[in-house]
Amino acid sequence: MATIYVGVGEYAASKSNGHVIKTMALGSCVGVIILDPVAKAVGLLHVALPDSSINKKRVEERPGMFADTGIPKLLEEMWRLGCSKNGKMLVKLAGGAAIMDPNNTFNIGKRNILAVKKILWKYKLGARAEDIGGTISRTVTVEVDTGRVSLSSPGRGEWVL
Amino acid sequence: MIMTKSVSDKIKEMPMLSVVASRLLELSGDEEHSLQDVAKIVENDAYLTTRILRVVNSAAFAPNSPITTVAKAILNIGEKMVMGIAVGSCSAKVFKDPLDGYEAAAGGLWDHSLRTAIAAREIANYSKREISASLAFTAGLLHDIGKSVISEFLVGNTEMLTDMCDEGKAGDFLDAERTLVGTDHSEVGQQLAVHWGIPQPLVESIRYHHRPEQASEENKHLVYSVHLSDLLAMMGGSGTGADSLAYKIDDNYESFIDIGKDQLAVLLLKVQEEFFGTKKSIFGSEEF
Repeated sequence: MATIYVGVGEYAASKSNGHVIKTMALGSCVGVIILDPVAKAVGLLHVALPDSSINKKRVEERPGMFADTGIPKLLEEMWRLGCSKNGKMLVKLAGGAAIMDPNNTFNIGKRNILAVKKILWKYKLGARAEDIGGTISRTVTVEVDTGRVSLSSPGRGEWVL
Repeated sequence: MIMTKSVSDKIKEMPMLSVVASRLLELSGDEEHSLQDVAKIVENDAYLTTRILRVVNSAAFAPNSPITTVAKAILNIGEKMVMGIAVGSCSAKVFKDPLDGYEAAAGGLWDHSLRTAIAAREIANYSKREISASLAFTAGLLHDIGKSVISEFLVGNTEMLTDMCDEGKAGDFLDAERTLVGTDHSEVGQQLAVHWGIPQPLVESIRYHHRPEQASEENKHLVYSVHLSDLLAMMGGSGTGADSLAYKIDDNYESFIDIGKDQLAVLLLKVQEEFFGTKKSIFGSEEF
């Protein structure tokens, strides 16, 4: 079974049997998982920040870093694999956690989630399932064969999203 | 309490910091020190000298002509990098072992410590009172050393600790540790730091990185820098396992560190990138 690791600000899509796409330890970052049951393709993006206007230079080098530039890139990649633009793609979200921060000073996670949802909405996509927020770190694994999305966190085991 | 006693036994069993590393740490606490002082200490250690020269002449730094002296190497890669190499390679056991009690893999503590160190060096620039970037970097590297001691006492109870945090039964992971074993990683870290004889500002930043308001007035700026840096590293996905993100921010940081939300986001990105660059250039693919 081949595992494709997606780092911070990276994305990957696959429709090859046996492939698994994985991203490690999402803190305030958000994992955007897109599944196309018809084309039997899956995609995963690891977004770090909501808005690319913070650092235009980085956009060219690593568009996946930001929600507004990363989601279009992942969708393009999925379309390239034969996913239909009008197809019924499923979106799942994970991550967007925060430290214990009652005044939301540091809550980049929440801003990431809002930005991701806003951009997805532009493509008429909404999240079918989500495991977001809280004060936990999440690792995401997506299987091409089954479309199964599982999450894990140290001290909390593994569960299906 | 029996448990606390065995923790203190374990501290005594911990390997001592090498003479070179502890002398370098001592120096970082002294604002008046010069590059030559650092070079003199490093040159006494053949292993460290070789290591530093190898890094500075590596592809990542690609000097125009080969660098053959420690003094030139320090000028080239910076004192903080030298400190990173010294602390990392002279106390490898502390940083390299897996933290089973936190369910963190081998190397997890080093990754988190290095990321916190890079963030602390950057956040030091926003301190309302001048603090040495080198000291902040070193404080970041060392802040969690207590975890290497306390980890084994948490084994088998990790899920209980995360439940306590998730269900609000503990204020944060530090409280949960204290409830379970009668002490916590910051207190144990302080004891190890004292055992190692490292300078007071570093001892305080280890002891109070989750409770910065308790630090002495003299060291509050440094401790708040490490406090924020630790949280920033966790947000970026580099915690040390089960406790990642399960800590509170002390909102009073604004009295000591003048940094806004947007600057924090920029910093998150910067730390991320520098971390991968630094890790690669210090250690390459080889183990330390």
